[in-house]
Amino acid sequence: MNISKEEAAVALATVGRSQAVLRQAFRAHCGHWHLWLWGGVWVVMALTAHFGGPPAVARYFLPLSIAGGLASGLIAFIQGRHVRLPMDWRFLRLLGALLGFGLIWPLVLRPAPSNELVFAYLGLLVAQLYVAAGLWFDMYLLWLGLILAALLLIGLWFFLPVFWIWIAVFGGGALIGGGCYVRWGWR
Amino acid sequence: MALDAIIHQPARLQIMAALCQLKPRTRVDFGFLKEKLGLTDGNLGAHLLALEEADYIAVEKTFVGRRPKTFLQTTAKGRTAFAGHVTALQSIFNQT
Repeated sequence: MNISKEEAAVALATVGRSQAVLRQAFRAHCGHWHLWLWGGVWVVMALTAHFGGPPAVARYFLPLSIAGGLASGLIAFIQGRHVRLPMDWRFLRLLGALLGFGLIWPLVLRPAPSNELVFAYLGLLVAQLYVAAGLWFDMYLLWLGLILAALLLIGLWFFLPVFWIWIAVFGGGALIGGGCYVRWGWR
Repeated sequence: MALDAIIHQPARLQIMAALCQLKPRTRVDFGFLKEKLGLTDGNLGAHLLALEEADYIAVEKTFVGRRPKTFLQTTAKGRTAFAGHVTALQSIFNQT
């Protein structure tokens, strides 16, 4: 089979276009809904804590987390109708190890309990999982994890009196902004 | 590397380029691929058949709820053939 240089150029351009279209569609299809959802959950949690105080945290945080998890599962189910990713058991084991040890550390360190500290700790645990996923799959998750971790620590160290407002604006905002970047900014 | 006559047809080249862009064993729905590549049902179906007969893609028919769905993924043979085809195209393009 023989073709000219011009025909080869046209074919290579076709390859490049198809790959770009599917790469963009695939990544946008998979990521942004989860980021928007959890950004929204963080905003609601933080505003609930700010305006409702410790009783609201005790009352609403667990149901909100469970509702977020269920909604994430629903999104994954709906997305699975179009794209099905192979199960990466090795990565899931890594996440399990990180999460498992992350839940053991407080038992050893016994930090003074405060809602802000607990939220920052669990938020850092989530940021750590994003970093691991970023190293494993796509770099945007790594940057998102690092930004989240930095925002949580800045809020905890420098803005503790307005910690929940800080989390609502910058923590939830970073997740929602990350989702917008994946949906519209990614090429 | 020689050009692959099965892959070289423009629509099949589009399909293979798109599917090989995804990680191995990632499956995409027929409708999703059709929409993204701007192909018609008949056109995509005919070219998928040719690629499946060459063992370049695997087609899985299943149900999501009560709706029939067709999921597509490349085979190892298909990925090798596509990589070889692109290498051949690049060598032709780079010829002085």
